[in-house]
Amino acid sequence: MDQLLQNIALGLSVAFSLEGLLYCFIGVFLGTLVGVLPGIGIMATLAMLMPITFHLDPNYALIMLGGIYYGASYGGSTASILMNLPGTATSAVTGLDGYPMAKQGRAGQALFMTAIASFVGSIVGVILLAGFSVPLARVALRFGPHEYVALMLLGLIAASVIGSGRSIRSLIAVSLGLALGLVGLDLNSGVARFTFGQTVLFDGLPLVAVAIGLFGLPEIIASAGRAQTPKVQSDKIRLRDMLPTREDWRRSAMPMARGSGIGAFFGALPGTGGLVATFVSYAVERKMSKHPEQFGKGAIEGIAAPESANNAAVQSAFIPTLSLGIPGDPVMAIMLGVMMVHGILPGPTVIQDSPDLFWGLIVSFVVGNIMLLVLNLPLVGMWVKLLAIPYNYLFPVIVAFTCIGIYSVNYQIVDVFVLLAFGFLGLGMRALNFEVAPLLLGFVLGPMIEEYFRRSLIVSRGDLGSFFDRPIAGTILVITAAIVVWAIAVKTRAALAGRGKPVSDNG
Amino acid sequence: MRFVTERLEDVLAAIVTLAVGIFVVTEGSSYKIGTLSQMGPGYFPVILGWTMIVLAVLILVASRPAEIPMTLSHRQLRGMLFVAASFAAFALTIERFGMVPSITLTVFLASLANDRNTLVKAGLLGLGSALACALIFRVGLGLQIEAF
Repeated sequence: MDQLLQNIALGLSVAFSLEGLLYCFIGVFLGTLVGVLPGIGIMATLAMLMPITFHLDPNYALIMLGGIYYGASYGGSTASILMNLPGTATSAVTGLDGYPMAKQGRAGQALFMTAIASFVGSIVGVILLAGFSVPLARVALRFGPHEYVALMLLGLIAASVIGSGRSIRSLIAVSLGLALGLVGLDLNSGVARFTFGQTVLFDGLPLVAVAIGLFGLPEIIASAGRAQTPKVQSDKIRLRDMLPTREDWRRSAMPMARGSGIGAFFGALPGTGGLVATFVSYAVERKMSKHPEQFGKGAIEGIAAPESANNAAVQSAFIPTLSLGIPGDPVMAIMLGVMMVHGILPGPTVIQDSPDLFWGLIVSFVVGNIMLLVLNLPLVGMWVKLLAIPYNYLFPVIVAFTCIGIYSVNYQIVDVFVLLAFGFLGLGMRALNFEVAPLLLGFVLGPMIEEYFRRSLIVSRGDLGSFFDRPIAGTILVITAAIVVWAIAVKTRAALAGRGKPVSDNG
Repeated sequence: MRFVTERLEDVLAAIVTLAVGIFVVTEGSSYKIGTLSQMGPGYFPVILGWTMIVLAVLILVASRPAEIPMTLSHRQLRGMLFVAASFAAFALTIERFGMVPSITLTVFLASLANDRNTLVKAGLLGLGSALACALIFRVGLGLQIEAF
């Protein structure tokens, strides 16, 4: 207990320092700003703003990047509610009931409840993060290379198989990502692999350019060609008009609590994250509701539950990332990449070796969420006005910012071309119905998993069975195998049931 | 032939995956493979390549008739070309001419990706954002990119 208080005091001193507060604010502000803009998802936001953080001290860089992440997930629901134009898949669920509410003239209440639900979810997630990371990291300190290989394999397989209708395609994307992660000098032998003699590739492909290319460019292109943005429902919103009724509060309380729990659970699992959490919590609420017929027509539970689930998942996704060094979703993969750029080796030692970083980040999450509450309640009108900017003027400026951002990371022109190349890779993959998120996960984990795999087999003198001699690694591998078997079973059943009919979710 | 046309999307996906897989295996085999207990730089890539080849075959096996993949509209094509051109323009001009001319050109080209932006509007937007970027990034944040 004493230890915990001491840690929190350390965290407070970092998060409440002038720079801590400043960068936290900049992060949540920019996150909300870009998150509000329709058609720009969290990944693109993060990828675009990430270069700014490279010029900061790692403590503050992570604080700011975290702020961008959860700020964007607050902001993402605004356009979803007001215009039915969700920036991210997670805020699409919020739009299911948020947009009907806005059409009924209850946009204010919807936005208010969104902010409250997001806040509640976030705080639940942060508490779990603070509580679980330290014991988990303590266990993880005893992990050898075998356990890491097993965990990463679990993460990659789970990310491809759970929550995706096309497991084989996702597995291909993961493999491609792993292969792309090999580009550069091999750490053990010093051999240059897949570089085609280009010295600029010796350090590997630049993560930022890869991430912006895969996620940002297709989004920019999609919105550049968009003819007309939908009309904003209710363009003037004042705080006075936003207050939910007593009935709204009563109906939202339990969904929020359940949503937070569901979100925190799924967020902490490798490979699932916010998307699955929002869908599950929405489905649960509709099942539990006394009036399920209202869902989809403006039921406030349909906003409260997925929003709290999403934000709880955002926070609890940091648990495996910070305590094990294994990212569960592509956003966390970027976080991990940034840590590595700053020379921090992600893993269980981070909490011990840099307690200021870990606890500073945790306290800053709380601080940032309070800031967001202010930014999103009294100041919501400002964001709504932002939606009125014509999109055809906005996206060229986004292109300019992206260019400067990517160039300023290394001052290497080749990064811009890598971005373009991966942009077209992303477009091509989307056209053939591949998901790009697993690719990025594979790309970040690739070098690590290879390294640990080699090391584990050196230790056990080439005996693959050694993975099952070790209880933890063995258990994780069995779970991984179970997921695969389950996925195959589901697929086969669907195939047998749908025989003869054209089905679009195969492969 | 009907098998292929009905499953065009899956067949294309499988062919691309197969090609990438074969490439990774061949390229990986050119490095030292080593043994399981002492893996060389080629070992892991070869495993990956084979995994992709197997997955490509699985796509074909699991393939069922589906709708034809979406086609590219004129508008999307225009958006894609101009956005790509604007990124390329930035890369080619930033070091030679500095931020203001480079961003003007970048934003000008990007604006034309949307057919509602006229040449004049695109030019003005380009110039305006170039000046703003110079102020924010050069003067404000002090990035090492010359304005001219």
